Formats: sequence, structure tokens, C-alpha cells
Amino acid sequence: MEKSEILKTVNDIFIDVLDNEDIHLTYETTANDVEDWDSLNHIQLVVAIEKQFKVRFTAQEIQSWSNVGQMLDCIISKGV
Amino acid sequence: MIFSLGNKFKKTFTVTEDVYRGFISVFKDTNPLHTNDQFALSKGFNGRVMHGNILNGFLSYFIGECLPVKNVIIHTQDIQYKNAVYLNDVLAFEATVADIYETVNALVFKFNFKNAELKVVAKGQIQIGLLR
Repeated sequence: MEKSEILKTVNDIFIDVLDNEDIHLTYETTANDVEDWDSLNHIQLVVAIEKQFKVRFTAQEIQSWSNVGQMLDCIISKGV
Repeated sequence: MIFSLGNKFKKTFTVTEDVYRGFISVFKDTNPLHTNDQFALSKGFNGRVMHGNILNGFLSYFIGECLPVKNVIIHTQDIQYKNAVYLNDVLAFEATVADIYETVNALVFKFNFKNAELKVVAKGQIQIGLLR
């Protein structure tokens, strides 16, 4: 998948999990930029992304993400 | 992670008069399907149909009280009701660990409730987190 396509899919997951139609993620978006992206919702987001792309992240990978772009790179690195 | 894929848990629940009355007392759902035998019979059931959400109460009990750990929180759940449950029905509940998300300490159980005739009365899945 193209990175832009993954971004769109991840954006849809965020809209669904956070119940906010106004979310427009960019590669630079961080948790501070998205209302309600708290620790509990972060778990839901990770689970939903792992389910959608049929991948599993390591704790180290998750901790290394400082923005959405890095999350997408991680998804791509798993052969998506 | 204390759980493994395929782990099974079983429990028996009975929809007693206390459970039924307690549910109505708390939630005030006195719809005739749940409280009037004649009405329920006229709709093709065998008598008053127990509230489907009583089963969610049993599910809550299972997660909160029957697992080998107490540091649990329900994230999401869905349930499909397949057959009516009646007063004093004894339900066999079974839950199986269907998915594990180890890095975020979450897991998904698939579950079902069967009545004495071994008919599935409800099934679904529930995702829980293990609090660190």
C-alpha cells in the first residue's frame, strides 16, 4: 500500500475510535494535536490498527513513534 | 501475559427471580415482553422474555470476578441475541481467548451462552485490558 493510502485508512480508524469526524491526520500529527488521544484510546487505536493491517507491533516500536508518520513507516516496514 | 490463545473459561449462570426483579428494579424496563406472559405468548414466545442485558450483567461478572486476575477493564463488547431466555433458565457460558494484543496488554474473548437445550441464546466478543 502507498503511504498516503495507509494514512487514509489510519485516519478512518481514528475517526471511528475517537468518534470525531473532524480528524485530519498528517505525517506530522502528534498525540497532542488530537483531542481525546489519551492512553486508553491509544490502546484502542493500536488494537484497531493491528487488526486492520494484520500486523503486530512491539512495545519498543510503539514507544519510538513521535508522530503519525513514524507510525505509518512502522506499518510499512511490516510489509503492508 | 497470563493468558494464551485458546484458553477457555466456563461458568453457569441462572436467571433467577432475584436477578430478573433486580434488573427491573434498577433499570425500570417493564416492557410487556418482559413482564406480561400473555403479551409474550401472543408474540410467539413461551412466556416472559428475560431482558437481553441481563446477560451483559453476567458478562460483567465473568470479567470482573471469574478471571485469574483482577486488574481488568472492559474496552469494547458486542453481543448478538439468538434465542429468548426465560425465567429460571440455566445458561452455560463459555469464553475463549481469541486474540491477544500483548504490547498494549489487551485481549479479546469470544463467548457464548447456551440454554439447557444447548441452543446458543447469545454470542459475541469482548475486548478487555489488563491494567498495569
